[in-house]
Amino acid sequence: MIKIEKNKFDEFLEILKKEYNVFAPKKEGAQTSFKEIKFAKDIEFNNINTKIPKEIFFPQAEELFMYKDSKIENIEKKKAIAVWGVRPCSAKSFILIDKIFGRAKQKPGDKNFEDPLWKTKYDDSLVFTIGCNTPASTCFCNWVDCGPFDSTGSDVMVYDDGNGFLLEGISKKGIKFLSDIKDFEESNDKDRQNIEVLKNIAETMLSKPIDKDLLKVKIDKSWNHSIWDEMSAKCINCGACTYNCPTCHCFDIQDEGKSNKGKRIRLWDSCMFPDFTNEASGHNPRDLSKDRFRQRFMHKFKYFPENNGDYLCTGCGKCIQVCPVNVDVRDVLNKIIEF
Amino acid sequence: MDNTYIPVQMKVENILIEDPAKTLRTFDLSFINSEDKERFKYMPGQFCEFSILGRGESPFGIASSPTEQDFLRFTVNRTGLVTNEIHYLQKGDEVGIRGPLGNWYPVEKFKGENVVIVGGGFAFTTLRSLLIYLLEHRKDYGEITVIYGARNPDLFIYKDEIAEWEKRDDLNLHLTIDKEVDGWNKMVGFVPTVVKELAPKAEKTWCVVCGPPIMIKYTLPVLVELKFPNDRIYTSLERKMKCGIGKCGRCNIGSKYVCIDGPVFSLEQLNTISEAF
Ligand code: SF4
Ligand code: SF4
Ligand code: FES
Repeated sequence: MIKIEKNKFDEFLEILKKEYNVFAPKKEGAQTSFKEIKFAKDIEFNNINTKIPKEIFFPQAEELFMYKDSKIENIEKKKAIAVWGVRPCSAKSFILIDKIFGRAKQKPGDKNFEDPLWKTKYDDSLVFTIGCNTPASTCFCNWVDCGPFDSTGSDVMVYDDGNGFLLEGISKKGIKFLSDIKDFEESNDKDRQNIEVLKNIAETMLSKPIDKDLLKVKIDKSWNHSIWDEMSAKCINCGACTYNCPTCHCFDIQDEGKSNKGKRIRLWDSCMFPDFTNEASGHNPRDLSKDRFRQRFMHKFKYFPENNGDYLCTGCGKCIQVCPVNVDVRDVLNKIIEF
Repeated sequence: MDNTYIPVQMKVENILIEDPAKTLRTFDLSFINSEDKERFKYMPGQFCEFSILGRGESPFGIASSPTEQDFLRFTVNRTGLVTNEIHYLQKGDEVGIRGPLGNWYPVEKFKGENVVIVGGGFAFTTLRSLLIYLLEHRKDYGEITVIYGARNPDLFIYKDEIAEWEKRDDLNLHLTIDKEVDGWNKMVGFVPTVVKELAPKAEKTWCVVCGPPIMIKYTLPVLVELKFPNDRIYTSLERKMKCGIGKCGRCNIGSKYVCIDGPVFSLEQLNTISEAF
C-alpha cells in the first residue's frame, strides 16, 4: 500500500495521465459529475453524492458507427481510461454491466456478441475506488452484497484517512500499476489500523440488511399480488430512477442524419416509459404503469440474479434521492418480504 | 475493432408484392461481399435486424431456408417508419442486415417423427423457412401437416408456392380463412377451431405454432387438449427488439430475452414464465 499526501496529488496525477485519460469528480454548479481531469485542483475530493460515473464507459448518447454514401466508418479506439474516486457501489456496477455488455454468446453461426463500445473503454480501464467513511442515509449497499469498502470491480482501493490517500492494489492491473510507480511513501502499521477503524465506523452507520433468502421466496410469489398495484400507484413513470442508476443499462438505437450521411447512435432508455416495449402493431406487453414498475424490480431482484447470480442493484440509493414521489427501493423490498 | 452493430451489406435482388393492398412485400437479398455470405450460417426460426441507413433497424424472421443458397428472404408488413421505408426499396438498392440472431426450431429433435406446422397470416415467414427445410430433407421426417389460416384469401403470403405445395402428396396442407367468401372452396374458420376439427394425432409428433398473439393464445390450449406434450409444442414470440443481442434490455419475458433465449420457446418453457401470456 502506498501513501499519497493530498498536496502531492498533482505528482500522482501526472504519472496517471501518461497512460490514461483521467476522469474524476468535478464540481460544476450544484452538480458534481465525472469529467476528464487535467489538474488536481479540479477534483472534488469529498463529495460522496456525485452523479454516477456510468457514462464514462456507457455515455448517454453514443455513436455505434458513422456512415457516408453507404460507406460505414467504424469507431476508433481511444486512449485508456482511468477513473479516480468512484464509490464501491459504482465500481461494482461496472462488473454487473460487464456481465451483459462484456458477454460473448457463442452459438453456431453467431458473430461476436460482445459490445464493442463498452469493451474498448472498460477492458483497459483502471478503476480507483474510494472507500466510504460516512455512508449517506440513503445507502443500503450492505443489503445487496456490496459495502462501503467492498472492492468488487476495483483495480485499486483508496482509503482517505484525512491527511492523504492510502492506495491498495486489488486487481492484477492495479497491483502492477502501483508497483511501477516510485517516489511515494509506503504505508505503515498505524495507517493500516486507521483503515480498520474507518471500516468499522462505516459499518455501524448502515441499517440492518434484508433477509435475502426470504426475498427470493417471496418475490417469486409476488407476481399477481396487489402490493404491485399499491406500490406503483404513486409512480409517475418519469424514469429518473433508471437514468440515475449505475446498473441500468437499457438503451434505444436511432439514426441521426440523412440516408447519405449520418450516424447510428444508442441512447439510454428506460423500462419506465410506455414506448420501451410498445410494438409497431400498437400492442404493448407492459401497458400499465404497474407492469413497468414491477419489471424494474423484477429485473433487478429476480431476473438478473437468476441469470447472473447477482442483484442488479448495488444499494447506492441514487434512485431514492431522485424520485419525485419518494419511491424507496428499500420500502419496496420490505413490502415484498412482508406480504 | 469487431463491431457487432455494423450491418452486413446486402443488395435487393427481387421484390414481390404479396397482397392487393400492397401492405406485404417480400424481399430477396443477396450478399455484396462473399466473405459475409460464407460467415452467415443460419437455421429456420432465426431472425435479422434489417437496416436502412438514416432510418434505423427493424427485426424480421428469415423466410428463406438455409437450403436456399442464393438469397435471403424477408417478408415485411408495412406498419411504421422503418417498414415504410423498406417498402420503398427498389431492385438493386443496397441495405444492411445484422444476424442471424436468436435460436431456431429444433429440427434435429424432429428427425424421424411427424411435424405439424400451424400458422396465421403474415407470420408464416419463418414457418416457410421451416417447411422448405423439412421438404428439402424429406426422408428424415415422418408426416408433415401444415394448417395455415388468414383473414381472407388475399392475405396468404407465398401464394405461388402454396399452389405448388398443394400438388405434393407428401404434405398435408390445410388452408383456412376466417369468414366465407365467394370462390373459396377450402376450409373456413379460425385457426384454433380448425386445428381442433382436424385433430392431428399427437403421437410421435412435434408442433410449431406461429401467428398473431391472439391466435397463439387460443391454439396452444387446443394442442394441449389434443394431448401434445408441452415440450413438443413450439412457438415463436415477438417483442419489440432493438439490439437483438441481449444488451438493450427491452425484449424480455421474465428472465428470458426473446432475442437471445428465443424467439423460439417450448410451451413447457413458457409455462414457467409469469409474463409470457
Ligand atoms: S436500483 Fe437504486 S439503489 Fe439500486 S443501484 Fe439502481 S439507483 Fe442504486
Ligand atoms: S423516479 Fe420515482 S416516479 Fe420516477 S419512474 Fe422512478 S419510481 Fe417512478
Ligand atoms: S433486443 Fe435488445 S435485449 Fe433483446
